[in-house]
Amino acid sequence: MTEKIKIEGKKWSKERVRADRTDELYAHIPEGETLMSIDDLRVVYVTDDSETVAVDNFTLDVKKGELVSIVGPSGCGKTTILRCIAGLLQPTSGKVLMGDKECTSPGSDRGMVFQDFALFPWRSVKKNVEFGMEVAGVPKAEREERAMRYIKAVGLEKFANSRIHELSGGMKQRVGIARALVMHPAVILMDEPFGALDAQTRNIMQEQLDKIITHSERTIIFVTHSVDEALYLSDRVVILSKRPSTIFKVVDVPWPRPRDRTNPEFGALRKQILQYLEEQNVMDD
Amino acid sequence: MEFKYDKHNKYHRFARSACITVISLIVFVWVWWIIARVTVNPAIPDPFLTFDALFDLIENGDSITGLSLGTYVKASLTKFIYGFLLALVVALPLGLLLGNFKILREFLTPWIEVLRPIAPIAWAPVFILLYGYKEGAMLVVFIGIFFPLLTNIIFGVTKIDPVLVDASKTLGASNLQIFLKVLIPSTVPYLMNGVKVGLGIGWMCIVAAELYATPLGGIGFYVANMITYGAFPEAFAGIIVIAVLGLLTTSLAEYVSKIVSKRMGIDA
Repeated sequence: MTEKIKIEGKKWSKERVRADRTDELYAHIPEGETLMSIDDLRVVYVTDDSETVAVDNFTLDVKKGELVSIVGPSGCGKTTILRCIAGLLQPTSGKVLMGDKECTSPGSDRGMVFQDFALFPWRSVKKNVEFGMEVAGVPKAEREERAMRYIKAVGLEKFANSRIHELSGGMKQRVGIARALVMHPAVILMDEPFGALDAQTRNIMQEQLDKIITHSERTIIFVTHSVDEALYLSDRVVILSKRPSTIFKVVDVPWPRPRDRTNPEFGALRKQILQYLEEQNVMDD
Repeated sequence: MEFKYDKHNKYHRFARSACITVISLIVFVWVWWIIARVTVNPAIPDPFLTFDALFDLIENGDSITGLSLGTYVKASLTKFIYGFLLALVVALPLGLLLGNFKILREFLTPWIEVLRPIAPIAWAPVFILLYGYKEGAMLVVFIGIFFPLLTNIIFGVTKIDPVLVDASKTLGASNLQIFLKVLIPSTVPYLMNGVKVGLGIGWMCIVAAELYATPLGGIGFYVANMITYGAFPEAFAGIIVIAVLGLLTTSLAEYVSKIVSKRMGIDA
């Protein structure tokens, strides 16, 4: 790719948060209060003869314990936003704050689940889940015990010693989720985690994730292009406009979990969101 | 009882390929025999004379120098192994460095591209003159193995999946940890590819370099020496030994690389 990101202001640091259990760093913030604020994010891609504004004026507060999903058509800059939050991409301008500290590099306080799994093929399932704890210096015995607990939680105990290529797509993503969850990150970023799965597996995975978030207080930013998925899982749905991506509307999803997709209210809200998307002629899904 | 070939049965498949190989070798020897009969030149000995010489070599050793086949094979293999290890020790860190740092790679690429196309054996007279028969031949092997190894490692490093690096960063890994825990393992299958190619070339180099060498020079020397005495069946017997050992080394490399690739979960 010849595209480059235009960057204004100072260089990012090379320091990386490497700690385990970063959620404890923010224990003083009560449930429902702002944990992460994304302030006026702007991303400009520069090529030899043109500048494209991919994301503009994106401001969002993420509350502790909530699942916010970001919907919008493919290629509208959802992943770009998530990569900025993760610290994998330095925005042209704007800030991402955790509590009151600016995030200027990737780190274990923002765990990430990738669309194409991003598992280490030379490591077993268990060793993949242990990776973050390994680099954080967690003692071996604790590492193994915790990894096994999370592998069990995602229903893969029989495959703990399997290699990645022996698993199906859905199983691979369960490893990806366990690998992120086991670190107890302050925020979990999910980039279309079920995008590469078939419809059947996708539904099962949504239900499993729903169970996991109901039983543990997790703060999650979830990128998807499926309105149905967003409504099933999230507390709030952020609808993006087409390029340059900015927030078009934020919809609250008030229903208790687990949600019923056949509920007429569910259908009505889905229809409304699809209409919003259609209004700006960026229909997808 | 009627026998029916079942291509899904692994023993049937093995038996089939074994049969074909045996028939192929018989035909090979037969063609060789015809050529020897037609040419009637002592430089191309009859296969049966050659086999006699081969058994004689295995049983009694070299009738001229009095050295056994084992001594020759050991001399060749020692140089081969040291040359290989030296290439690995130099190419591995260098390849990782060059793959990682673009400026270094760009700077050294002209050097590599100038030196790489030179046939390794062209260095033999120079190295033997400078370092003697043993070390000189070893360095020829080193050159033969070094370049395929180096280029494969550099390729492997530049081919690393950027998503894996991203994932490591979000799990908190430092650049050094990424280098050790992600980059190096993901390069291993490419390294094995380099080893496979390198061993084949290295074996050719050792035999060729030994053609210059003194009595303890190894199996290549045996062939050269027998030819100077006009003992062509003995020379051909030596060539068979070279072929068999070459086949063994490359099959071993193939086998090891298969296991490693499977273990690393990547096909290079």
